[in-house]
Amino acid sequence: MEIGPILRALTRNKLGVILISLQIAFTMTVMVNAVFIINERSKLMARPSGLDEPNMFYLRSTGFGDQFNSEITEQDDLELLRNVPGIVDATAINSIPISGGGSSDGLRLEDDPTLPSIPAAVYFTDERALNTMRLNLIAGENFSGSDVLHQRSSEGRNYPMAVVSLALAEALFPEEGQTAVGKIFYNDSNPVQIIGIVERLQAPWTNSFFVEQAMLVPLNFISSTSTYLIRTEPGQRDRLMVETEELLAGNNSNRIIRDLKSMDETREESYRLDSSMATILFVVILTLVFITSMGIVGLAVFGINRRRKQIGTRRALGATHAEILRYFMLENFFISGVGVTIGAVLTIAFSIALSSLFEMPTMGWYYTPAGMLILIGIGQLAVLGPSTKASRIEPAIATRSI
Amino acid sequence: MLNMKNIRKVFRTDLVETCALDDFSLTVDQGEFVTITGPSGCGKTTFLNIAGLLETHTSGLYLLDDVDVSQLGDYARAKLRNQKIGFIFQSFNLMPDLNLFDNIDVPLRYRGMKSAERKERIDKALDSVGLFARRKHVPAQLSGGQQQRVAIARALVGDPLFLLADEPTGNLDSNTAKGVMALLEEINDSGTTIIMVTHDQSLAQQSKRNIHILDGRISNASNETANKEATAA
Ligand SMILES: Nc1ncnc2c1ncn2[C@@H]1O[C@H](COP(=O)(O)OP(=O)(O)OP(=O)(O)O)[C@@H](O)[C@H]1O
Ligand SMILES: [Mg+2]
Repeated sequence: MEIGPILRALTRNKLGVILISLQIAFTMTVMVNAVFIINERSKLMARPSGLDEPNMFYLRSTGFGDQFNSEITEQDDLELLRNVPGIVDATAINSIPISGGGSSDGLRLEDDPTLPSIPAAVYFTDERALNTMRLNLIAGENFSGSDVLHQRSSEGRNYPMAVVSLALAEALFPEEGQTAVGKIFYNDSNPVQIIGIVERLQAPWTNSFFVEQAMLVPLNFISSTSTYLIRTEPGQRDRLMVETEELLAGNNSNRIIRDLKSMDETREESYRLDSSMATILFVVILTLVFITSMGIVGLAVFGINRRRKQIGTRRALGATHAEILRYFMLENFFISGVGVTIGAVLTIAFSIALSSLFEMPTMGWYYTPAGMLILIGIGQLAVLGPSTKASRIEPAIATRSI
Repeated sequence: MLNMKNIRKVFRTDLVETCALDDFSLTVDQGEFVTITGPSGCGKTTFLNIAGLLETHTSGLYLLDDVDVSQLGDYARAKLRNQKIGFIFQSFNLMPDLNLFDNIDVPLRYRGMKSAERKERIDKALDSVGLFARRKHVPAQLSGGQQQRVAIARALVGDPLFLLADEPTGNLDSNTAKGVMALLEEINDSGTTIIMVTHDQSLAQQSKRNIHILDGRISNASNETANKEATAA
């Protein structure tokens, strides 16, 4: 091994080494942080909503004219929908999980507006929501049809009971969590009793900090627009989406059917920004890594061409193919080593800045060493070709060329 | 020690075949100082490269230290070069990025020698060419003559069987050249075999044995030893 001489020779060509190691350092900083962001985004995207999304869709009915009776229409529609073969269940609900639009309330443990409140998404719906969404009830029970209040939104939004997500139960009653059934919380000055807890139910807002805090309440708003959430037997969704739209449109001519959409589409739309950001970051990483690899190859080829005669001389003095190959691999290893060391410092600094500026979680410790190893590996790969070529330089170069 | 019989070297390119050495036979014994002369392109460097295992010959027999080297692979040839041959080049061929110590260290590292022994040998070699004090300098800080001394130290440091020098004074002014020649003679006097290519007729005449090459063949081997061999052949 000739570590000492390689290092000493490198210090005589500082500029090239510094430039390329800075490039490696920057590439590593961007790469590691971007991978972290991509991973965080994918984690967000992978969170389950609690719903049986692949088999669900929804649509809206908006009535018009004097003859339209929204209460009766809604009753009729739900009755009709629930009897369609292939439809497991249907419910009327004010908003759709992860869709981006919905309603929330600030909840307190006491009737005292000066206390801090805990936010939660509220789904105003009926007793069939639980089954329609296929939520996993882990404690307590669902409300019944007779619990459901029917009122206009102008009459207020008071509800005496709720089925809450476990995350909401834990946020309200950290001590009790799953055993919080029966507990009371306040929505403004109205007491609400937790009658059931579901394992998971997400809010409509995917980027919200309280996305996991949501509840179903037995309150049905009478309005000219009804939103129907529907679950089908597996594999029947696409067919039933078409048929349902036609069925409802034909059932009542004083309304229009709109916003027909599957939960899969909804998820796709809600996370479109996240997934396109991940794609962009991925392209940025590939581009940077490519450019840096080219830089490494360029520096290696340049250095090898500059030293052809030296290489020939080394061969004349007894270096084997393998020793020449190893020389240039080691040289690159040291250059990359400087790069990833600077890179490690930059990476950590950048990630601290990112997490404090954008309230992102802090990066796992393993990201930085993994990034170092990967970039060293990329460097070694990049330099393998030029080094192999260098090792094939004829020893006769030592005497033949001037 | 060095024994060549009917060596032939043909360079083939796409268009032409050049016969750089033809029917070339030569024996060099321990302790000799042989000069090689001849017009440009006659095959002097080609001979040296074959002798030094930098190039392979096309046909003929080459025994180096009684070993037939024709069949050796690249690895074995590299090891033989490292252990048995010292090279001195016209343009010195020092590593510009390494100081003198590291330069002389190059062949020893390829031999896998322990650091303590390397240091001892390098210091001795530097001392013998009078450059110990400059061991931390890089070649660019030295004059041509000094650089060639470093190259000589590098060639000697591994105790080779013989030195091969291709116009070692070709890049030096005549005074400096004399100094380098004196050093080489001193080295030869202490027992090291030297084979040296030169353009300088006066240097050739001074040497104990001179081989003159014309068009890849030995044209007249002059001086006593060579004459002996010519009659024997
Ligand atoms: N790699 C090669 N490919 C083709 N021909 C070559 C090659 N090397 C040398 N030759 C040819 O072989 C012949 C002998 O070359 P060589 O270098 O041995 O001459 P030389 O005696 O050392 O000349 P000089 O005094 O100019 O150094 C020349 O005709 C040269 O052109
Ligand atoms: Mg020549």
